[in-house]
Amino acid sequence: MRDLNRIVRSLAYVLELLVLFMLQETPGLLPHIYGARPVLVLPAAAVMAMFEDETRAMAFGVAAGLFCDFGYSGVLGFHALVMGVLCFFVSVLVKAFLQVNPVTAVLTGFLVLGLAFGAQWLFFYYFRYSSPGYALRMHYLPKYLYTLIFVPLLYLLNRALAEALPSDGS
Amino acid sequence: MRDFLRGSSFKVLIITAVVLLGLIIYTASAGGSLIASILGFVSTPMQSVATDLTDGVTEFLDIDGLTKDELKDLVSILQEENSQLYDKLIDYTQMKQENERLKVQLHIAEQAPENEMRSAAVIGRDPNDPFSGFSIGIGTLSGVSEGDPVITDRGLVGVVSRAYATTSKVECLLSENVSVAAVSIDKHESGLIGCNITMASSGLLRLDYLTGETALVEGDIITTSGAGGVYPPNLKIGTVQSVEKSETNVSKYAVVRPFEDLASVKEVQVIISFPGQVEDDADSQPGPDDSEEDAE
Repeated sequence: MRDLNRIVRSLAYVLELLVLFMLQETPGLLPHIYGARPVLVLPAAAVMAMFEDETRAMAFGVAAGLFCDFGYSGVLGFHALVMGVLCFFVSVLVKAFLQVNPVTAVLTGFLVLGLAFGAQWLFFYYFRYSSPGYALRMHYLPKYLYTLIFVPLLYLLNRALAEALPSDGS
Repeated sequence: MRDFLRGSSFKVLIITAVVLLGLIIYTASAGGSLIASILGFVSTPMQSVATDLTDGVTEFLDIDGLTKDELKDLVSILQEENSQLYDKLIDYTQMKQENERLKVQLHIAEQAPENEMRSAAVIGRDPNDPFSGFSIGIGTLSGVSEGDPVITDRGLVGVVSRAYATTSKVECLLSENVSVAAVSIDKHESGLIGCNITMASSGLLRLDYLTGETALVEGDIITTSGAGGVYPPNLKIGTVQSVEKSETNVSKYAVVRPFEDLASVKEVQVIISFPGQVEDDADSQPGPDDSEEDAE
């Protein structure tokens, strides 16, 4: 029964990532704030990692990253790699040192999104285009802050999911 | 720590990282990949539906342009109407949009019958792209290939940067990766249309490599020149807003306001074939390194 819960929860996570990807990609659905729109799949994967063991956390991080890669650059693997590694260590950290609560979720989101967007800026912008400082201030920073707003909401959603479908490992 | 490093989950992490690194190298070098096409097959129908729904809702409620009170009034008025009228209105709106799309396609086709085009809807705009690139709902199965110009009835919008089976990525003119050989139809002065992040945030383009004695003035119309065979000639781009001195040399550049609102375009046409087109568009796309020679 608990294994069944785990399978259903995994399917729910995949569906959640798919829906969030649709929401973030649909033109005109989420309003622009300072020219930026949120990237919803990244905080979702970070929050999922808090409720899962490290291997599964990494798998959902890779899935979220692949969605990001597909939507953005077409070069598959970069976001998948970054998010896979980050989610793996989020899960390890939560298991060893952190409690799972809204405050740690926000802190985790703060760190994971900062590292993910920082890596994105460094590898996709800094080495390729002009005015990286301007891009960081006017595009990446607003996008980062805007995305952070969704961390508590996604935490509540995934906590409800984890509580509704408990398993031995969670 | 030693136990952690020897654990099976850490080994899985290392294997995954190596596989993903391989994937990065493969897709960066080979372009479109099977995985991207599969993701496209899964996401395209849902993205299309989500985009249509959003367009339908914003058609009734222009959230950006109305105040809260105006929205409340609008909602109260709409609630008085019966469901039958809603259905008719939705049908009418859909027919109207379809009609307008076909009229636009016919209008463009009449202007340049020699160009072979495919109509497409914008199905996605990724929030990670600082240059307002977008995805369209057609791909290689519809004849689209990398390097194909993308236009609307108002003019050039961008170029297909990646083509998958059922979707394509479009880099718009606001991207630093896109350079277009352009000419002023009045003054016959040529240059290279490009952009950078600071101008992209204002929705403006720059026409580089003008001479110090350029005769261009505000209001002059800029079109594609057709040089290089990457874009067809005479596609509208925009009008000159001002002429400035270059930051790096004695030449000047013109600030160009595009005819099309590049950050919010919804329907486009992809030119899959035109007279004078070079065989491999992707290879002949003018880049920053060879832009000076192209302009000359």
